[in-house]
Amino acid sequence: MTLSTMLSTMGAGMLRTCGIFFLTLLFSLPLGMIVMLLRRSRFPVVQWIMKIYIAVMRGTPLMLQLLAWYFGPYYLFGWSIRGYRFTAIILGFSMNYAAYFAEIYRGGIEAIPAGQYEAAEVLGYTHAQTFFKIILPQVVKTILPSVTNEIITLVKDTSLAFTLAYNEMFSLAKQIAASQTSFTPFLIAGVFYFVANYVVAFAMERVEKAFDYYS
Amino acid sequence: MVLEMKNIRKSFGDVEVLKDISLHVDEGEVVSVIGPSGSGKSTLLRCATFLERVDRGEIRYMDTPAVTTGDDGRAAYVGAAELKQVKRYFGLVFQQFNLFPHYSVLKNVMDAPIHVQKRPKDEVRAEAEALLEKMDLTHRADAYPCQLSGGQQQRVAIARALALKPEILFFDEPTSALDPELTGEVLKVIRQLAEDRMTMVVVTHEMPFARAVSNRVIFMDRGVIVEQGDPEKVFGAPEQERTRQFLRNYQRG
Amino acid sequence: MKKMLCLLLALVMALALCACGSSAQTGTTDEEALAEVQAAVDEVADDVAAALEGVTDDAAAIADSVRVDVTDDAAAGAAYVFLDEDLGTESYAIGFRLGDEELAETVSGAVMALVQNGTYAAIGENYPEIADYLCLTADDVDAAAIPEQGSGDPDYTFKHGFDLDYPPYSYLQDDGSVGGFDVELCQAVCEYLGWGYEAVPFNWDAKDMELNAGSCDCIWSGFTKEGREDAYTWGVTYSNNTQGILVAADSGIATLADLAGRSVGVQTATSAAEMLEDSQADLAATFAELRVYETYTIAFNDLKAGAIDAIAIDMTAGAFLIANEG
Repeated sequence: MTLSTMLSTMGAGMLRTCGIFFLTLLFSLPLGMIVMLLRRSRFPVVQWIMKIYIAVMRGTPLMLQLLAWYFGPYYLFGWSIRGYRFTAIILGFSMNYAAYFAEIYRGGIEAIPAGQYEAAEVLGYTHAQTFFKIILPQVVKTILPSVTNEIITLVKDTSLAFTLAYNEMFSLAKQIAASQTSFTPFLIAGVFYFVANYVVAFAMERVEKAFDYYS
Repeated sequence: MVLEMKNIRKSFGDVEVLKDISLHVDEGEVVSVIGPSGSGKSTLLRCATFLERVDRGEIRYMDTPAVTTGDDGRAAYVGAAELKQVKRYFGLVFQQFNLFPHYSVLKNVMDAPIHVQKRPKDEVRAEAEALLEKMDLTHRADAYPCQLSGGQQQRVAIARALALKPEILFFDEPTSALDPELTGEVLKVIRQLAEDRMTMVVVTHEMPFARAVSNRVIFMDRGVIVEQGDPEKVFGAPEQERTRQFLRNYQRG
Repeated sequence: MKKMLCLLLALVMALALCACGSSAQTGTTDEEALAEVQAAVDEVADDVAAALEGVTDDAAAIADSVRVDVTDDAAAGAAYVFLDEDLGTESYAIGFRLGDEELAETVSGAVMALVQNGTYAAIGENYPEIADYLCLTADDVDAAAIPEQGSGDPDYTFKHGFDLDYPPYSYLQDDGSVGGFDVELCQAVCEYLGWGYEAVPFNWDAKDMELNAGSCDCIWSGFTKEGREDAYTWGVTYSNNTQGILVAADSGIATLADLAGRSVGVQTATSAAEMLEDSQADLAATFAELRVYETYTIAFNDLKAGAIDAIAIDMTAGAFLIANEG
């Protein structure tokens, strides 16, 4: 196998890897917000359910969660899971990362001084205005470094999709390495992850800079 | 009457912080509230601005009821829409300024008039610039709060409160978080507002300031108003032993 | 255990399932690299579309699309068969580092001694799935090549490199110990020669690095010789195996031709996977998809759940899966 064949075969996997990555971010970032709001709900039952949800998502390996999301419907309800694979992967990743993001958001929200809410209240802002205009922009600034960490972890975690036989880039690297008795695919994989994470870190640094105008 | 509070009671758990307090403020009046820490003066301000709910008693602004006595004898707040109207009558300046750190000075002042009161942007901008000039902050309009000194931040906070054109402005220990050399510039602004006949209630530890600026001084201790009246009288010839004791301690410290 | 985890997640899942549609995708292994990239682009686009669509789908629509599986568990247990046609045969041999001729000869000779004294057949009896595939008989023995019993250096420890996930050749036993036909045979070889034995279970993907780095002395774990003739110094071929197609008995699939348009699963980096890429690439091209799994365990679960129609697997591993099913 020539290097270019190797690269183009793995290139197909890189697209799948990127697919998982972007869809997971697309769903988990807002979902984490919902989880966080429910986690801070006034109703103890809702709080309690969200606590358990976060505990399970953070306390069990993502690989097991993917298996559960995918095979769960079949083993629990006898439903057909044909064609459900990619959905299960995105579901598993998004639900897992939402739990982590929710806790990051919560930490950010709780770091906002009570005085900000009181000032907004006295000035007559509605609850929605207070949250979106006053609190959220400050939360975003404080949580950016933690979110960057999580996103970088996600880049590398995408290889877990192979658990459900989804041939993302790293599983292709393993397959080629095995059939070609070659270390090169792993090298390519390493470079891909590094470059991807470099791009993430670079982009996030720019975002952090954009928030640098105040402290 | 701008503000009327009647028979206010407030407890935190088993501790009664406000014990049957009544207070009224007339238009153009500057009222100073003094007293030892834990006397309930800050709580009184927080109840007046609805940051805390009172247990019993009545509150009116500009003769509009905000809190009345319900059938069960406990305080009953009016509906959200009416309360929102009442909130327009007052502004509050915090001890810790509580400026919005992600907004520039100008935006801190302009945002609420535009997005809460829905007033035209041009009009608000002109007023905000005038307010900043009055606060001697025109040159810092584009700065962010973190770039300002404490005294400057507090002046921005005052401008922010004034931008909503309140009938009455509350100050919760406006100079307590400031370095001593910065208190002067804030007190100067408040004094200037008093000269402009702005109705104000100032919770403060600055006795000379209270004596010089107020029309009336209220001395609070342990949840009750011990003594109130003309500043010369309260400071010069207090009737109550507790007032004398407080002022003695204060002067010594 | 899987069931328990599923139950734990059931609550959250009930909510989330409302947001699950069905998404179709293919996992083809085209020869033409460009076409593959193109296919992948389409695939990702499809996946994205399907996933996005899935979120907006409502629960009623899903209820229509799912079918309730009425297969009775007991019946399902016996319901997997190999097709009569196979994909090809292969030989399992012991792989040594290139140039380790002497070691290869010694070990191979010791295996022959065990064939001669009946140990080889006796170990084979412990693994009925592979009994038919053990290819060495007394006729193969060249007495001259057999080293003397106990002739090995007693201070030497032979490091046996293998995949712990390849039953019945090498796998974790019910009691948690390391075992399998290859492990027992290798232990018997060491015992015969008077060597120490050290088990080196490794990640199959890293087998070459392990071998070349010297952390093991051989790869001996149902290791296929075909296609790798020049990459290793080979010891004796001690077992044959046939790659076959495992299907549900009621699937209606009887021949390789019936696999056209079906989904077929295979474990990554196995001989079956390689055959479908090389000698059987034409057959693979007729599949609707060739899905590559990390392990056959997951592939078999998918087969049971009906997510794929067949598994390409060697007969011994397949027989092991069926025997240990449920």
